[in-house]
Formats: sequence, structure tokens, C-alpha cells
Amino acid sequence: MKDRRMFGFELVRGAAAILLALGVGTIFIFLSSDEPLTALRYLLIGPLISIKGSVASFNTQGLYTILAAMIPTIFTGLAVCVMFSSNQFNLAGEGIVMAGGFVAALAGIYIHMNTGWHAVICVLIAAVLGGIIMLVPALLKVKLGASEMVTSLMLNYVCMYVVLHFLNYNFADRSKGSTQTYPFDPTAQIGSMVPGGSKLTWGFVIALVFVVIIALLMYRTRWGYAIRMIGINQAFSKYSGMKVGGTIVLSQVIGGVLSGIGGGIEVLGRYTTFLWKELPGYGWTGVTIAILAKNNPLLVPLAAFFIAYLDKGCQLMATYCDVPSEMIDIIQAAIFLFFAAEQFLSGYRQKIVVKNTRADLAKAAQAAEGGAE
Amino acid sequence: MEQHQNDLVVEMRGITKVYPNGIAANQGVDFSVRRGEIHALMGENGAGKSTLMKMLFGLEQPTEGEIIIKGEKVSLSSPTAAIAHGIGMVHQHFMLVPSLTVAENIVLGMVPKKSGMFIDFKKAIELTKEFAERFNLAVNPIAKVADIPVGMKQKVEILKALIRGAKILILDEPTAVLTTQETAELFRELVHLKEQDYTIIFISHKLNEIKQITDRLTIMRGGKSMGVYETASITEQEISRLMVGRDVILDVQKNQAVPTDVVLRVRNLEYTNEWNKKMLDGVSFDVRKGEILGIAGVEGNGQRELVDMLFDLKEPDAGTASVNGTDLINASQAKIRGLGVSLVPEDRMTYGIADSATIEENLISDRFEEKRFNNGPLFNMKAIRRESDKLIQDYTVLCKSRSQKVKMLSGGNIQKVVVAREFSSDPALIIADQPTRGIDVGATEFIRKKLVDLSRAGTAVLLVSADLNEVMELSDSLIVLYGGKIAAYFEDTSQLDDEMMGEYMLGLKRQSDEEIGRVCHER
Repeated sequence: MKDRRMFGFELVRGAAAILLALGVGTIFIFLSSDEPLTALRYLLIGPLISIKGSVASFNTQGLYTILAAMIPTIFTGLAVCVMFSSNQFNLAGEGIVMAGGFVAALAGIYIHMNTGWHAVICVLIAAVLGGIIMLVPALLKVKLGASEMVTSLMLNYVCMYVVLHFLNYNFADRSKGSTQTYPFDPTAQIGSMVPGGSKLTWGFVIALVFVVIIALLMYRTRWGYAIRMIGINQAFSKYSGMKVGGTIVLSQVIGGVLSGIGGGIEVLGRYTTFLWKELPGYGWTGVTIAILAKNNPLLVPLAAFFIAYLDKGCQLMATYCDVPSEMIDIIQAAIFLFFAAEQFLSGYRQKIVVKNTRADLAKAAQAAEGGAE
Repeated sequence: MEQHQNDLVVEMRGITKVYPNGIAANQGVDFSVRRGEIHALMGENGAGKSTLMKMLFGLEQPTEGEIIIKGEKVSLSSPTAAIAHGIGMVHQHFMLVPSLTVAENIVLGMVPKKSGMFIDFKKAIELTKEFAERFNLAVNPIAKVADIPVGMKQKVEILKALIRGAKILILDEPTAVLTTQETAELFRELVHLKEQDYTIIFISHKLNEIKQITDRLTIMRGGKSMGVYETASITEQEISRLMVGRDVILDVQKNQAVPTDVVLRVRNLEYTNEWNKKMLDGVSFDVRKGEILGIAGVEGNGQRELVDMLFDLKEPDAGTASVNGTDLINASQAKIRGLGVSLVPEDRMTYGIADSATIEENLISDRFEEKRFNNGPLFNMKAIRRESDKLIQDYTVLCKSRSQKVKMLSGGNIQKVVVAREFSSDPALIIADQPTRGIDVGATEFIRKKLVDLSRAGTAVLLVSADLNEVMELSDSLIVLYGGKIAAYFEDTSQLDDEMMGEYMLGLKRQSDEEIGRVCHER
């Protein structure tokens, strides 16, 4: 009863945070647009329902676009879930997505294989590189006590500029007008799941498989258990005899592997050459998703869908109305704020707690009286 | 307007505080202080005295009840509000900026300015000197706080409060970090302040200090007030009875211990804490298989440090400790557990549990890597569930299910979860540090009974407890710690009485080295 009430509270709090954030977004839409209602329509229902005249129809291609956009963010979301679960605020997923995408592309160009294994090898290389890069902030934290938040944040730019250096000076296809690599072999490309040239590739299925794998890892294995316990109470874990340092490193390496896979799959699925010239932003989105999902891997696809939907809605709004596409940032920031604010609705929570404790005390007093007689 | 000596400057009525974790730290507490008195607030750790004072200083807000200062009902939403009402607090751990000078620390937040924008350092120094002289609190205004001794830091804290206009000073265990000489000096200064009509609330559990300096005292236990007394008309025995609560009648049935081989061997442990106070001074003892060795003593006499050394939470300056001949001092917790050592920690919320994890997850934290709980890479959930259901049943943990979060349980049931885990790992040695502090009678009795059963089944038990009743009833033999040294060893606890114990615990008496040496059972 008591637990259910607290769980209900968390749900109410989550829903209220999203609604409030959308409310904040609506205010900005009304402030910045001459046709706010049309803009709002595009934002809220536009991604899946197209309206021509007075006929509304389900937009299948729109759904594919949203699902396709979820592929890299599911991976980065999972990565952040694992790292945040051990209380490591590691933000290097962003840079690793770019580095992972880059090496996957290189493997697609310079390694030649015949079968479908080519793509798998490319993604594996990206995964390994991601894990290795993540050792840097992880070991600095465990061995020297350097804040992983600072080092991982800086590491993103190291990743980006190293990739750009090699792209510019070693691997650029000079025959093209913009800086990009040569196209990778067709064997390395990840194919589309649906007809019609959609970017919804088999990577989506792989992402969902990883959701299950990571959920199992976190809740059904000794490593995931140690990661979560260390995140909840490090002193307790150490006292219980767990290997705290090793587990902290492990959680970040897993995060790096997942981010690397995400980058590799995204590049091999969406493009034919590597052409990112700045950080793609999936790592940051992963942080938002992990916070929305409360570090629960099984909720990551839902959160990723929500963000992709909003993203698409904002693009439509920016394309067809006079609302800037930066609106998504405002709404995301607002969600972030309401979710991350521990004190949000804490007064309401405190009321529940007081009520529960009162009931317990009364019960205890009753029991004591009964026992004394 | 005429001022009476017994004007109430602070009145707290019917204060109840429920923390977000559901712990009711104060339950309907009434507390009042007269103008110009030194009023002691006494109680064990966890009795709720710090919570009460935090509310008076605006750091926490009461769930229920009212605070009246100088006859006016107030709402103290922050320390700033409390300071505005003339309340100052000196925390146990100082709130000073080490890299700034004494004067800079004192004026922090109320800096005197020159031409509107520059800090007037000269004025700050003058101000510090003026107040230091007026209140007879000698400090060096230009010394860096990092370089001054602890006693002076405390004076800086007191000055900080006074300069902000505090007329009511709350001192949270002010002598805990001081040497004897510094304590004596502090007391002279406090009396001087009292003579100037300042009111002082003095949090402590040291009986001799309370007797020495306070006018009245309020005793708290288990979140409730046990009453207000004139210091002169209450004996130390009465205070201790009210504080530790001796009304629980224990009925632990235990037959004679038959101790055999030495399990835990501790020799000449020494430890000096970060304030340069010697907390352990050559402590040596043995705990044998099949016996409960109790460690009695007023809190802060080295008990915590001793347990910390044995479980690798602190490193001793010198000395050795071993379990069945294997060194403990340089071993990690994982290795110590591997040797069959279990610990029921004093601070159960920090070390004993992961509060937002489930009961099940808390029960397996020391054994989840064992083969029987794993199928290849995956957990054997069936085995884990069987284990946790069994422990919940054996230790009568009152809960809805094993997947309930531990923080939703009552204090007694949380401790049962800790004990269930620590007692069920087939330990060679159990260190039980305040195993029943702050928990209900039922759980207390249960845990004590389990301890006796385990020791009779051949486990060595080291019981550390500030609860005299507990340590005397449960232990087969017993040592008393005073000032980091063993003050007494009693081979047989059945003939002991509290009064004699009290004399050893308060440092009035000490056994000869020869008598104490008998606790080392060397062949």
C-alpha cells in the first residue's frame, strides 16, 4: 500500500514534469508565432498524422523517420543508464559516437569482406574503440580521483578534433566538394527494414535487442547488481566486500562500448560516407533519455521515442510555421529541469511520507500496548 | 521594563519532525531555555537532539509544532532568519574557510567596505579584536584559519555568531574535538558569556562536563523529551538512567560460555585522529571462540576507532590485529569478509544498507558472487529468492515482500535486514557495534537472542555498546574503554553492578595493568 503510493507519486511526478515542460514550450510558441495553433498542431500530432484539407491520415513514413531517429539515441541512452547507475556522471558518449562512427566507416572502406559479416566487424571495431576511450576518464577517476564529469566532457572535444584531423589530412575524398571519406563498401552498409528508401534500418532491431541485453545485465547479473549497489551507496558496497574501483571502470567501459556501437550503426545505416564535421548530439540526447527513463533500460525506448517525436514535431513546426527549430532545445531543457529537480513536488511527497510514518507509529504504539498487557 | 531571571528566551512546543526517509526524529518535543542560563541538551546519538537544534537554527523546518523566541511566535525558514532572531550555532565540524584569515572568516557575508566597493581589511581586523577582547576570546585576527589550532577555530566560530548579534548560542558537542586544557578554557569563556547575559545551549553526552558547567538540562531519548531538570538536583546516575533507558527488562537466557581458541587477537593498537587527539592508546585484547566479549564505555572513548581499524575503514598508527592468525590491518574488506568476519555497523544507514535497493538486494550484498547464486553469467534468481525469503522468515523481518525498498522499513526491521545478512554467513567472528541502538524492543530482544545463540554455537563475538544494560547482560566478559585505553577487564560479568562500571567508564578508577592484561589469553 505504502510502496504503491510512492510509486504512484513517481508516475504523477514524471507526467507533471512532461506536461509542465510542454506548457513552457507552448508559452514560447505563443510568444514567437503568428499562427500558434497551427504550430502547436504540427508539434503535437504532426509527426504521425498528416492533415490535407480536412482529411487526416496516418503518416507511415513519419513513423519510420521517428523510429530511425531512435536508433543511435537508444544506444547512448542505454550507455548513460549504465554509467549513471553506478553514480558516474560520464558524458563522453557524445565524442565516442563520433569516433565510433568514424572507425566503423574506415573499416567499411578499407576492409573488404563479402558477406553480411562486414557490417558486424565494422560495428565491433567501433565498440572496442568506445570501450578503450572510456578507460581514460574511468581510470583517471579510480586511480587519481579526477572527476569523471570534467574529464569525460573534455574528452568529447579530444575525440572530435582527432577524428577531424584524420578526416581532413588522411582519409578525405578530394574529389568531393565537402570534406567526407570515400564511400564504404555496400557489404558494410546496414540495410533498410522497410521499403521506400526509409532510414529505418535493421539497426533498430539490434537496438531493441540491446535494450533486453542491458536490462538483463543490470537486473539479472552480478556485474549489474554491483554497478547498481555502488551507485546507491558506495560505502555500503565497499563494506560488503565488492570491488568498487573495478566495477566503476566496468560500468564506464560498458557505456563506451554501447556509445561506440550506436555511432557505428548510425553511420553505416544512415549514410554512405562519413561526413560528420561536428559532434552529432546523440550523446547529449542520451543523457536526457536516461534521466527520463530513470536509469531503467526497459524504459529507454519509450523515452527515446518521446524525444524523437518531439524532435520531429519541432522540425515540422520550423518548416511549415514561423517557429524556430531551437524550440526543441527549450522544451528539452525544461523537461530536464523538472525531472532533475529532486525537490519538484517534494512538499506533496513529504505529505505522503508523514502520513505513512504516522500510521506506522500508531501501529507500533498499539502493538506495544497490546504486548504490555 | 523589568527582566526576570527565568524569562524564557526560547520555547519549542510540540515539535515533531519527520524526515523525507520517514524517520520521525522528534515526536512532540517540548523544549525551553531561560535567559542567561547554560542549558544542556543530552541524549544518545540518534535521540533527536541535533534535529531539534537544526530546527531552532532554521536548517530544518518542523513538521508540526511551534517555536517561540522571546515571547514571539516565529517561523525560522533559514539560518539567516534564525540569526536575525539572535540565534547562533557552532557546529561540531567547523564551517570555516581554511585559506582565509581569522578576521576574514569572521566578517564573511557582512564585509566592511571602503568607498563602497573595496573590502576594508583594517576594519575587519579591528572589529575582530574588539569582539575578541569584549568576550575574552583570544584569537589572532591575521592568522590563516588553516594554521590555527582546533581550540582557536572554535573561538572563531563563537565570535562569528556573536558578531552577528547572537544572544542565544547553540554549541553542538563543543568538547568532542578539544583537549582537556582547551575544554577548561572553553568553559571559562562560556561562564564569562553567561555572566554577560548570553544564553547557551550545550549539546553533549559527557556527564562530568554537564555537571560542571550547566544550570539545567533536558534529556532526550528516542525522539522524545525525557524531561527538564535542575543540574544541581539530579545525580549522574539518574541522568544516565534517563539517557540510555534502563526500563527495558532484559531476559536473555544464556548458559555458561565455554571459550576455546583465540579468534581475534588485537595487540597495542594506536590511533591519533585528524585533530591530533589520541583516540586509541595501546589497546590489546583477545576474543575467543564461543564467548561474547563486551566493550563498554561512554561514547567517544575509542570504540568507533577500534571497530574502524578492524574493518579496514581506518589505518592504525601502530599495532596488529589478526583473525585466526591472519592479519586484518592490511586486508581489504573483501578479504576480511573472506576470513569469516561479519560486522553489524554502528552507522547502519551508511554502511549497513543501500536504502533505495530492495530487501532482497540488501540481503545478498556479501554473497552475490557465490556459485550457488549464479548460473553462468546470469543470476540464479530462484536461489536468490529462496535465500532472501528464508532470511526474511528466520529473522522475522516485517515487510510486504522481498522486493520492498529497505528505506520503507522501520528502524528495527532495517537492522534485522543487516543482522540477517551478517549473522547468516557462517562467521568466525561477529563484530556487533551498537547492534540495537534506536530500534524497538521486539527487534532488540530478537537480535540479542540471536547473538547469544551464535556465540554458544561457536562464533566469537565482539560486542561494542554504549547501552550499559546490553553490554552487561549479553557479554560473558567485558572490557571498559576510557580515553582510548582499557580501564578495566572483568572476566565474569555476572557479579558486576552499574555503579562500579560507572566509575571505570567515567575515568574515576582504573585497574592495574596486570588485571587488564588478563584479557590477552596467551599460552
